[in-house]
Amino acid sequence: MLEVKHLTKVYPDGTVALKDVSFTVEDGAFLVIIGLSGSGKSTLLRCINRLIEPTEGQILWDGEDITAADTTQLRHIRRKIGMVFQHFNLVRRSSVLTNVLAGRLGYVAPWKSVLHRFPARDREMALLALERMGIADQAHKRADELSGGQQQRVGIARALMQEPRIILADEPVASLDPVLAHSILGDLEKLNQEEGITVLCSLHYLDLVQRYSTHVIGLRKGEIVYTGSREDIRRMSDDEFKRIYGETAQRVGGGLEGSVGG
Amino acid sequence: MADKAVTGKQRVSAPLAAGLSLVLPGLGQIVNGEWQRGLTILLSFIASVGLGVWRVHLLAHLQVGLAAQYRKALYLSPGFIVLLSIGLIVLWLWAVVDAYRRTKVVIGKSTGIYVLIGAIFFVLGWQISEINPPKFFSQLDDAWPAFSQVIWPWQAAFERDRETIQAGAPILVPCDSGPLPDVPTETPGQPYLMADPRCGDLSSLDENNNTVPGSTLHLVGRGFAPNSEVQIWWSDPIGNEFRVRQAGSYVTVTSDAQGAFETDIIMPYRLMPPSASGVQIHQVEAKQIAEVGPLKPSEALLLSLEKMAETIFLGMMATVFGIIMAIPLSFLAARNMMSGSPLLVSIYYLTRTVFNIVRSIEPMIWAIIAVVVVGLGPFAGLIALTLHSVAALGKLYSEAIESIDPGPLEAIEATGATKLQVIMFAVVPQVIPPFVSFSIYRWDINVRMSTIIGMVGGGGIGFLLTQYIHLLDYRSAGIAVWFIAITVATLDFVSSKIRQKYV
Ligand SMILES: Nc1ncnc2c1ncn2[C@@H]1O[C@H](COP(=O)(O)OP(=O)(O)OP(=O)(O)O)[C@@H](O)[C@H]1O
Ligand SMILES: [Mg+2]
Repeated sequence: MLEVKHLTKVYPDGTVALKDVSFTVEDGAFLVIIGLSGSGKSTLLRCINRLIEPTEGQILWDGEDITAADTTQLRHIRRKIGMVFQHFNLVRRSSVLTNVLAGRLGYVAPWKSVLHRFPARDREMALLALERMGIADQAHKRADELSGGQQQRVGIARALMQEPRIILADEPVASLDPVLAHSILGDLEKLNQEEGITVLCSLHYLDLVQRYSTHVIGLRKGEIVYTGSREDIRRMSDDEFKRIYGETAQRVGGGLEGSVGG
Repeated sequence: MADKAVTGKQRVSAPLAAGLSLVLPGLGQIVNGEWQRGLTILLSFIASVGLGVWRVHLLAHLQVGLAAQYRKALYLSPGFIVLLSIGLIVLWLWAVVDAYRRTKVVIGKSTGIYVLIGAIFFVLGWQISEINPPKFFSQLDDAWPAFSQVIWPWQAAFERDRETIQAGAPILVPCDSGPLPDVPTETPGQPYLMADPRCGDLSSLDENNNTVPGSTLHLVGRGFAPNSEVQIWWSDPIGNEFRVRQAGSYVTVTSDAQGAFETDIIMPYRLMPPSASGVQIHQVEAKQIAEVGPLKPSEALLLSLEKMAETIFLGMMATVFGIIMAIPLSFLAARNMMSGSPLLVSIYYLTRTVFNIVRSIEPMIWAIIAVVVVGLGPFAGLIALTLHSVAALGKLYSEAIESIDPGPLEAIEATGATKLQVIMFAVVPQVIPPFVSFSIYRWDINVRMSTIIGMVGGGGIGFLLTQYIHLLDYRSAGIAVWFIAITVATLDFVSSKIRQKYV
């Protein structure tokens, strides 16, 4: 269970990105975070593995305080939290396999991995992860030679190498077309259902939110303005969604006539 | 300093502004509120008057009093003095008119005064840097022989072995002091010289310092190389050996088709101390220096080759050491690697500052310092170039690190990787292309620099080049210059090709 308590983030320039945010995520949930551009979704997700240092508040994971962890403890926490990014964040000039293997860095001996040496077991694991994502044949290509959808699958494979209990996904489909969006979210859903990996995911499109989420929180200007269950969100009309989300809400498959979302 | 204002400011009345600028050019404008314009005029005026006085003083430092110096300078360098004086007077008047006009409500763009200031400084600059175009042409004739040797030095690139063919004949000095020496025996095919008579008196000076010529000797030589130059030498009993001069120039004869010659010489001055007296046997000699054997590379060519190799390796080693040291240091000088604690941030600033200071001092100056520490030679040059390379590469590398895509960085960090792992997996792959490109570029610069670093004693071909120039051996200098040019051009080509391929 992940408990976020009174989380506040103020950037050095004074921007208040999160204001007293509290919520709880049960193990095995598929939590979707919605909100306008600039509402603090990325900030919230990055505070959880402390890529961004929270200003105030606590994040408890099964009772352990992530915000109080020292460097070594934090590394041990981080390796159990996979992360998937909107722009995939692959090392473009490295091979797909190297990118996937990087997911093991928290587990291997640092001085060995520095020379790009990984145990044979990890290599097998990496190939297996790629196979699972259906791109095993791409293993030895350079990462930037792959299509967007393939790159995001490499990103997920890298997260899988961490044997994570949580996956944080920051707009994982925002740079992909609708068909790919469904297939990538389908992959995440499968991991969520088959392996019980908790997923925290920010999304923009109502139909995707309705289709995949088990829980939803809505952010506006750094504050939680909506909390809902799977049923709540399924019943939600476009108008309600617009009210939480703002005027620019839209569906990936069309249906909401709004302008292009943020 | 173009002034875009088209409307003036009315702070003071026009006559007052003009009057103030008449007292001190620019003062009117300052009082009228245009302190930038006024100050520019005022400081330019003061500076050019000051520089003018200094140059006048230098031109006519023997005169006493400014007026006398001015007259003398006008006489010595009329163009400069007239132009400068007119310029300053016009500037002064212009400043008055300008001050008057700037107080009006509507005025035109007036940048003309800045153009005038620029022109005055140009005149001063021309004189201060002693520009003298006629000199360029008037001395071209003198420079041409040396210059042509530098341009096409290859006659000196190859040479043949030299062999001396010589024969001598003993001469008794003076005639009545003893028995005449024997006539040398002749072996056919060997060089042979015979003098007649076999005794005589050396040239000398009488008590009035007038020349008393020595006896004339008739020389007959045989068995020399045909149709070539024969030099006549003299050697005295205590081992002085010198070429015989007659009427100011060396005596040379040309042998005939059979290798024989005949000539008359006057016996030279004595080089022996006057105390040496008694029987003296001198020797008259005929020498030929003949070139024999195949062409082979000259000393200058070999030495240039040797030094060129030294130069290239000097540049290469400095680059290698530079790269090795710059890589770790560049991470300390990259902002995105050093955020977090105040300690890291201060290390970042410190590294950057050191880089900037070391980089701003030219390698030649580092070489001068290094020569003091480790002595003359390539090692001093290596130290100088390495120091400069570390700073220059460190800066370029750190900028490459600063401009990497931060995405992979946070992705690797999120896996629980250590800082070193993040660097090896997320940073290194991204910075390899720019690092390679900068390193090749630096190698190029270092070889270029190492060709001249020898001029201050830092080893390499530059040292040889300066030596040849000081010895006035322009052919050999030319060979060195050619080697430098060829190497630099080749390197330029190769490095641009490699960079094209890699990036
Ligand atoms: N490094 C930073 N320094 C200062 N302000 C920042 C920084 N990063 C984000 N912000 C600000 O914090 C607020 C929240 O940003 P955040 O990126 O979390 O929003 P978001 O919901 O992810 O937006 P988007 O949908 O556009 O990705 C915004 O106002 C943003 O301008
Ligand atoms: Mg975001």
